[in-house]
Order: sequence, then structure tokens, then C-alpha cells
Amino acid sequence: MRWLADFCSLPVLFVVMLVAELVVLVIVIAPSDESRAFLPRLATTTVFVQWLGLLCAVSLCKLRAPLERLQPLLGVVTAYLVMLVISLAGSYLVFTLDQQLSLGLTLPAQFQTRFVIRNAALCALIGTALLRYFYVLEQWRTRVRAEAQARLDGLQARIRPHFLFNSMNTIASLIRTQPAAAEHAVEDLSDLFRAALGADGAPSTLGSELELVRRYLAIEQLRLGERLQVTMQIDDLLPLQMPVPALLLQPLVENAVNHGVQPLPQGGTVALRASRVGSGVEIAIANPRPPEGQRLPTRNGMALANTRSRIEYHFGWRGVLLVQEGAEDFLVTLRLPDVEPAKP
Amino acid sequence: MKALIVDDEPPARARLVSLLQECGDVELLGEAGDGRTAVEIAARLAPDLVLLDISMPLMNGLEAARHLATLDPAPAVIFCTAFDEHALAAFDANAIDYLVKPIRLERLQGALARAQRYSGGAVAKLQLEQLDAQSASRTHLCVRVRGNLVLVPVTEIDYLMAEDKYVVVHYRGNAVLIEEPLKALETEFGGRFVRIHRNCLVAKARLVGLVRTTDEHVFAKIAGCEVQLEVSRRNLPVVRRAVKGA
Repeated sequence: MRWLADFCSLPVLFVVMLVAELVVLVIVIAPSDESRAFLPRLATTTVFVQWLGLLCAVSLCKLRAPLERLQPLLGVVTAYLVMLVISLAGSYLVFTLDQQLSLGLTLPAQFQTRFVIRNAALCALIGTALLRYFYVLEQWRTRVRAEAQARLDGLQARIRPHFLFNSMNTIASLIRTQPAAAEHAVEDLSDLFRAALGADGAPSTLGSELELVRRYLAIEQLRLGERLQVTMQIDDLLPLQMPVPALLLQPLVENAVNHGVQPLPQGGTVALRASRVGSGVEIAIANPRPPEGQRLPTRNGMALANTRSRIEYHFGWRGVLLVQEGAEDFLVTLRLPDVEPAKP
Repeated sequence: MKALIVDDEPPARARLVSLLQECGDVELLGEAGDGRTAVEIAARLAPDLVLLDISMPLMNGLEAARHLATLDPAPAVIFCTAFDEHALAAFDANAIDYLVKPIRLERLQGALARAQRYSGGAVAKLQLEQLDAQSASRTHLCVRVRGNLVLVPVTEIDYLMAEDKYVVVHYRGNAVLIEEPLKALETEFGGRFVRIHRNCLVAKARLVGLVRTTDEHVFAKIAGCEVQLEVSRRNLPVVRRAVKGA
């Protein structure tokens, strides 16, 4: 786990500036002799404190790589000392400049030591709190990430046992009558289970996911016969090497078959369209929606919810899963950005 | 033994056909691809045995078995299922037979022997009790019209009217009699119907509005029906809410 926050990142810099400004307000509001007006004091203190704060942040950002190579305890102490040195030097520099230019923004000349030491002390106190805050935040994030990972492992798309046994039954029936079809079915089933058993969070590619969907639909077409019609429209420009989570599409297609086609006595069409949209990819899976009274009892959209959280986890907010539920049709649309997904 | 094969998957039916051919002493009456057709065929052809898949369109196997059990003579039912935990759990303890797919010839032969030992009625009765205990609401009502069996989809029912010891089922302009108490129907299909009067349940989806007559009686208007049905004072608040919800 990382003990030092990334001080180059905007959220962290924002927190640093926010805390610096809070400190400024505390200093300015705290009762004093009020020899200078409120707003000028606020302005000069803000400039000074923000300058010190950002200087510390930038230095820690630049020193992050060597610091992280140290033992955590040694690293924390070093980071802390860096901040102290910066505040001591900065205060000394500002005080000297102020005296040289006779601006009267700091304190009279005899208070030089007090100015420098007290600033350093303030910096030490607030630095402790901030480093601790970032550490706890990081710890919390790591835990959330670990929990999400554990949950994802749990969610990891699985192929339903139902499908296995139904397929086995289909194969058993084909062996005598259509040995070649049975052979293909065994190969397809093996590929599907290889993917399902090997899916331990290792990313797959868009191309192989589409291939798996094809194999899955081939088996289901054997099982359901003419009741299952399939159309697949794949854009030639599709980045087939694009990494995606394993078994991303198959559960959605399985849903389309089980909830859309199988409850209909006359069957229906599962239509998959994959196209390139801007720099990303859009995949739409459409299926008929049986009329009320013929629908299967739903499992509260488990497959959809699982897929949605997996997309969120891998692609962040730029990955989208849309569900359009019509009276007679059902459409699931995935929009995936064409980027390297976050490493879990 | 005359057998009927019911499964929505052609290869599964084909396999059962070839297995039954190996069993001998079994005459294949026909095949059906969904529960509703199966019940209709069974009512016409009176098979001794129905091999029934559980997950099927229009009407699932569990419900089909329930309707089959009301036939006279009731056929023996053997469930065939790929993987269904609760079906296994529900039937494990009882004499009802189930086969898991892919079905083994020996298991099928055992089931056939058992079906022959029991009279169809005994098995059916056991099944009926089991299935009632499961108490999933039916998707169809089983009605006899002049000796013929008619399956009325529950989604197509407009309203149910109690008359003497019968209940008249009004659907798509037809009216048929069933011998089930209105109270039991209300319990089974509670979410779908609303009671508007001591003797009447109306499908919520068909309820289009209320009319008040000059003598302070309230009547319910039903979509696609000429008649207006009286709403009792006691049920009025609930009916109002149902109309608003629709």
C-alpha cells in the first residue's frame, strides 16, 4: 500500500490549497492587534501560505519516487523534514525580502526568529494532520478497491449449470443423428467453459469476447432449433484487440436468449450490433420481450447489474450500460471507451 | 403404455423419442413444445404417461402437471429437467419421479416401471398436493366447455363473477364456468385482480373508470366490455385506488 499521496494529482493539490486557505482564515480571524485592515492581511497571508503549501506539494510530488523507495517510517520522516525545511527557508526568505524592501508585511525586524520558528511550527502541525489524512484516505481507498475486487470475483460472470446440462443433452441427442454437429457443439462448449473457468479477472479482448458469443449462440441454436434466429453485425473498424473484462458479453446474450426468445413459442431474433463510435465502441444487443404472463420470473436483473458494475470498475464513468425496455422489445447498449482499462 | 413427450427443445424431444423406442412396450402418442399444447393434447388423447420438461414457453411444466392432474383419467407425470434445485428438492421425498438431463436409459426404464406400478391417479394426486404446496400462481385456468378442455390465460381474464357455487370467467367476450371458490382465486391471483363486490373480482389492468349513477350507486367500467359492474360501498376505496394506479 502507498503511504504517500500523489501530490501531483489535482484532487490532492486541491485539498492542499483548501487546507492552506483554512489556515489563512484561522490566522486572520484569530484575535490580534488588528494594526492592519482585514482584507490586505487576508490577501498577503493567502499568497504566503498558498505559496508555501504548493511549494511543499510540488517538492513532495517530485521526491515521490525516491521517497517511496525508502522504508515507510523513514520515508514519512523524510517527507516531514522536507516540509519543515521548506517552511523554514521560505519564511526566512520572505522575512528577509520584506525587511529589505521595507514593505512591513510581516513583523518588525527584531521578531525574525519568532516569525520563522512559528511558521515552521504551524507547518509541522498542519503537515502532520494532512499527511495522516492522505494516508488514511489512501488506506480507505485501498480497502474499497479490495472489496470491489472481491465482489467482482464473486460476480465474475459464470455460465449457468442449466446451460451445461441442456447442452450436454443436446449433444447426446445429436451424437447419433448428426455426429458432425455434435462434434462442433463439443468444441464450442469447451471454448466457453475454458473462458468461464479461466476468467479470474484477467482481461480478454473484444475480438475473443465476440467469438465466444458466436460459439454460445451456435450451441443455443442447436438446442432451440428454428426458434432462435441470430443476426450479428460487426463493424470492420472495430478494435478487436481492445482489452475488455472476460465474459463481458456472453451473460447479456444468454439473458437475451433465456428471457427474450425461449419463453416465446414462436421464438425470436437476438440481434447483436457492434460498431465504432468516435474513439470508443458501441455494442447493442436486442431481443424480443415476451408479453406479460409469458415472462420468466426475473432475478432482478442480476446479470445486468453485474455487468454494469464490472464495466464501471474497468472503464470508470466513461463505460456505459443502457437498458431500454419496450413493450415488445428489449435493448441493452454498451458504450466502452477505447482505452487501456484501469489495472485492478 | 401410451406416452406424450413435452419439451420445447427439438433435440431433447428427439433424444427422448429414441430412448423410448429402446424401452419397448411404449407407444408414442405425440410431442408438444409447450405446457399448454401438452395439456390440450393430453385432454384429447388421454395418454398414460407424460414426460414433461419444466422450463417451457406459454406454460411451464409444473403448472402443466397441475392441470394434467385434473384430467380423468389423469396421466402419470415424469419430470425431465436439466438442473432445477427446487424441483429436485420438492420431489425428492415423494414417489413422483423426475429425470435429469441428459437422461440415462436405465433411469428412464426405472421411471417407466414405476409409472406402470402406480395407477395414474395415485401419482397424479401426490403430485397435485406437492404442487399446491409450492403454490405458485397458475398462468392458465383449466375449464371444461361441453366436455372439451379449454385453457384460459389468466392475463386475458376481464373479470370473475361468482354465481351460486360456480365462478363465471369472462375473457375476450366469452363466459365460462369454473368450480373454484372466488376467495381461493382472489388469494392465488391477488396482485392481478381487485374485489369490487362480494361476488366479483376485476382485473386491475382492465379497470378503466368508475361511474356514479343518480341514486348514488357506483359502477366500474371494464375495457372492451359493454357491461358495467356494481362496486359495493365497502370496496369502493380500494377500487378507487386501483383505478388511479392503472
